[in-house]
Amino acid sequence: MNELNPTAGPIPPAIPTPPRLTKPLALGEDPADREPISGPLVAVEAILRAPRRIMYQLRQPGSGRLITAMLLVSILCSLIYGLVVGTFSQGTQLWAAPAKIAGGLLVTALICLPSLYIFTCLSGSEAKLSEIFGLVTGLLMLMTILLIGFAPVAWLFSQSTESVVWMGVLHLIFWFISTMFGLKFLDSGFSHFKAKTSAGLYIWVMVFILVAVQMTTALRPIVGKADDFFPKQKQFFLSHWNESLNAPGKPAGQ
Amino acid sequence: MHLIEHMTAITSQDTPSIGTLLRGQPEVLGEWIANWTAKRLLFCVTVIFVGAGLYGGAMGWWRAPEQGLIVAIKFPLIILLTTLGNALLNGMLAPLLGLNIGLRQSLLAILMSFTIASAILGSFSPLTAFVVWNAPPLSDSAQFSGRTYSYIQVMHVCIIAFAGTVANVRLVQLLRQFSGKIAVARRVLFAWLAGNLFLGSQLCWIFRPFIGNPYLEAAFFRPHPLQGNFYETVFMAIRRVLGGD
Repeated sequence: MNELNPTAGPIPPAIPTPPRLTKPLALGEDPADREPISGPLVAVEAILRAPRRIMYQLRQPGSGRLITAMLLVSILCSLIYGLVVGTFSQGTQLWAAPAKIAGGLLVTALICLPSLYIFTCLSGSEAKLSEIFGLVTGLLMLMTILLIGFAPVAWLFSQSTESVVWMGVLHLIFWFISTMFGLKFLDSGFSHFKAKTSAGLYIWVMVFILVAVQMTTALRPIVGKADDFFPKQKQFFLSHWNESLNAPGKPAGQ
Repeated sequence: MHLIEHMTAITSQDTPSIGTLLRGQPEVLGEWIANWTAKRLLFCVTVIFVGAGLYGGAMGWWRAPEQGLIVAIKFPLIILLTTLGNALLNGMLAPLLGLNIGLRQSLLAILMSFTIASAILGSFSPLTAFVVWNAPPLSDSAQFSGRTYSYIQVMHVCIIAFAGTVANVRLVQLLRQFSGKIAVARRVLFAWLAGNLFLGSQLCWIFRPFIGNPYLEAAFFRPHPLQGNFYETVFMAIRRVLGGD
């Protein structure tokens, strides 16, 4: 009976997952890794479904086009998510929030890039700066496309509450989840650099997260409203969060 | 004989039926997702509208017939809006968590699990209607008691929880079939559940009331439906319970 049943085969005919091996294949050993990435949309699909393709292409000559494409996708996605963030306060925040999120993300990456390169070299890796830069743009792209996935939920909540704290926490949670996936990609890419230890990368991850959250404070307000584009008072993010949580707010859920 | 069995098997898999979905054979459901047709999509959407609609109708009928009609429309809408609202996110999370399926496949898998839940809810709607028919009318304030309201609430929670659990068991079996690994299937299911629960709760909050309030008119939305959110309300309630201001 099963021999005659045409539906008894493996289902669905999706991209097959490579068999689990004790030692991961080197980049390019699997023919699927070598498939070219022809444009931004293919890059988006590749980073979600076959990140090794991105990692392989970043090591090839002419990877600049891929890096540029990933950077452009990151900027576009962060602008779209920023627009969703801006719908909470409306008005000038509709353009200020996208500008601050996209700008803040790029500046964070640029600030942290040299330290990642130094940590990578200290770990004994032979990675080039362009490969490190490529991985960081991959991290940004994955983060921001995941933020787009969260955008419908974020928009719905931004229309349902007047609490800046609530929206701030929600956006931070979404950013944190997206960043974790992005950092997983970075870690996976780092593992192919033949580094002797990953300790440097883990320290850098802490630095990156701290810089990113401080950036949200330095560029405040991203969620709420203010008269000035940039804040007049300098603050550390913990003190800003503490102030926001203790600020008198409107009772929720009424 | 073998040929007849073979033809029956193909026909039964090709023709959408609630039985096929509820039996939840991963091979058959997987084949549905791999070779999706408009007929099957229409079937799932119809089952959601009919099943969840009937259950919603029985739920709202306690307050008033028009409330029953309203909830019969709202309940399926929430299910479809949750499925669509999280489609992109769920489609991205699946490959990132180790399950290499596409956006369309993840959307259809979730839609099918909601279809199963709706079919179960629909099957319970006569029972719910019977319980509601036997309960003192919600509109009669002389007979209405808070205890009855709580019983009805608990009954709805139990039935919806049962439908949701069965649907998710079917979904995890399907995900296991796709990935070949139970750990991956559970990881993806957990991520999808968390996202759908998060969005679904807020949609339910916006679309309230469901059972209705004896002191308020039957209505599709409460006044200012977008004011406040589910989680803030729960948070404030916990704060009040713990003695905060």
